Amino acid sequence: MRSFLDRILNIPTSDPDDARRRRVLNILLLGTFVAAVIGLVAIVVTGTFTELNPTDFQILLFGIFGTILGILGIYRVNRNYSGRLAALLFLLLLTAVFSFSDSPAELSNGRALFIFTLPITISSLILASQSSFLFAFISSGIVAGLAISIGQPVNIFAIIGFFMLALVSWMSARSLETALDELRTINANLDRVVVERTEALAASLDRERIEARRNQAILNSIADGVIVFDRKWNAMMANPAVRSMLEVPIELLVNKNFRDIIENPKLSFKSRGLLNAMIEHDTQPIGFRIEWSGKTLSVSAAQVYNDRGENMGFVIVFRDVTREAEVEKLKSTFVAIVSHELRTPLNAILGYAEMFKEAVYGPMNDKQVNMAERIMKNTQRLLGLINDLLDQAQMEAGKLTIQMAPVRLSELLDNLHSVLDKSASDKGLRLTSEIDDSLPDTLNGDAARLNQILINLVNNSIKFTDQGSVRVRLFYHDENKWGIEVADTGRGIPEPDIPNIFETFRQVEGTATRVHGGFGLGLSIVKQLVNLMNGEIHVVSALGRGTTFKITLPLATSNALQANWRVS
Amino acid sequence: MSELALIIEDDEDLADIFAEALRGVGFEVERILDGRSAQERLTGGNVPFIILLDMHLPHVSGGDLLTIIKQDERFLETMIIITTADARMGDLYREQADFVLVKPISFVQLRDLTARLKPKK
Repeated sequence: MRSFLDRILNIPTSDPDDARRRRVLNILLLGTFVAAVIGLVAIVVTGTFTELNPTDFQILLFGIFGTILGILGIYRVNRNYSGRLAALLFLLLLTAVFSFSDSPAELSNGRALFIFTLPITISSLILASQSSFLFAFISSGIVAGLAISIGQPVNIFAIIGFFMLALVSWMSARSLETALDELRTINANLDRVVVERTEALAASLDRERIEARRNQAILNSIADGVIVFDRKWNAMMANPAVRSMLEVPIELLVNKNFRDIIENPKLSFKSRGLLNAMIEHDTQPIGFRIEWSGKTLSVSAAQVYNDRGENMGFVIVFRDVTREAEVEKLKSTFVAIVSHELRTPLNAILGYAEMFKEAVYGPMNDKQVNMAERIMKNTQRLLGLINDLLDQAQMEAGKLTIQMAPVRLSELLDNLHSVLDKSASDKGLRLTSEIDDSLPDTLNGDAARLNQILINLVNNSIKFTDQGSVRVRLFYHDENKWGIEVADTGRGIPEPDIPNIFETFRQVEGTATRVHGGFGLGLSIVKQLVNLMNGEIHVVSALGRGTTFKITLPLATSNALQANWRVS
Repeated sequence: MSELALIIEDDEDLADIFAEALRGVGFEVERILDGRSAQERLTGGNVPFIILLDMHLPHVSGGDLLTIIKQDERFLETMIIITTADARMGDLYREQADFVLVKPISFVQLRDLTARLKPKK
């Protein structure tokens, strides 16, 4: 019923004001139509059961029919042609019908006078707000005309009333239209905002989908295994590489807690302990190693934070380092074997040469003693080179360790002199040493490695100094640092070569390697040892005047906590 | 206490050199070239004044021999000198030995050291 009424009352049009007016007009037409039909029935009934003047009956009948036809016609105009024209016609029809609805005396000055207020009011609703004045004018004309036609005075107050009413109607209609207009503007803005927001949201969802697809594609294609966990270590996603690395199907990983995942029997006991420690303490280790189903995996973990700095979970990256681990193990075994197998026969050569020199098997002449000394010296040199190579190999394998223990500084210098005094005096150089008074007698360090640093530096200075001296000084830098300074009066290092002197297998001027012997490993080892000790090394050099190496090391007296660290 | 020095060293040349150094000082020298023979020797015989022990031995390691020596009351007075090519291994056993010598070991160095240790007549 409602939809039927809507269908006959509503008129599809783009102007909402026009649609509203035409709908109101349709409602009025429907009401008038119903009233006219009831009027028709009433006239027919009255005409049948009472004595009615046939002329009056005919006039009434034609009037009603005319009205009904007029209503239908106006309805069609309203529906198909123009709302405004239809409204005008309707109002004129209404006014015309009202003009004949009573005697001229009643219409101009009596009970029916106020029937004319209807078209005035309605016109501002269905035609235009200001049209109430038009119908006030028409009604006034009719009322005045009727009064004059029957010789009565024109009712001025009624006419003033009509215009007052027109004014009120106009104002009401205006304010209604303005309010509706504002409401429509607000609605239109609201609609526009909704559309804009919806589009922005759709675009951002699109971007996120593209980003997610891209990230997934990257994860799928990298060789490292990646598992993403939430804050409680439940696996949210895993890439395909994880499957081959852990030999666990991804379906069995996702949505599982990491603690359950590492209950896997393929994981070694020790590795499980490491992973459990990582989970319990939420640490972010980089590249620690675990054994999983016969493979060596490097594990790195990172916490994931959102824009507000809240922890959203963890990303664990597994890398298969089985091959590297095997190579490292081989290298380490190789170093151990070479270390033993090379040193032992050299030790024998050295020992036998010493026995000659010491005349264990009978007296020797000067020439023979000299030969024995040369054998010893060359063997020592060879041992030194082997030690350098082994140290270098150990450092590359990350196996070289610094072991802290109390070190007497005077013993360091005594050892240095016992090893290198002869080399210096052979070249006619003075080798001097001193210890700053402000340094403690004993401090914490690795005596063997400090000896190695001193011997390498001084050896280097002796090698490149032709006259003058090599001075060694152990100095106090500040409350946190002490240092070693080795200064010579040698030929100096050309400025462009200074950055390269710590490189392995390097000597300045390239061919110098042949002139001075050695692998060019000495300074490289010094630099690496200093790094391992968390120290720094600097070099200052002037061509023809000499070179000074200055090392600063963390100062820890022997009372301080003894540290023992492994560098990996 | 005898003036016996037991040299446990698998390299014959080094054993020769060490023996010569110790003999030079006046020790009576007994040489053993592998871990298993050393293990058997330690169960009986004369108690040495000095044991020169290489850590890298065939069959039974120097570490195991050291444990045996330390558990045997007969060797309570015996001087233990560890010889090794690996400085880190030397550090490992420093507490259990009287001296640790890292190879290369000089003939003169060994001779002078043992001369100081030798009981004065």
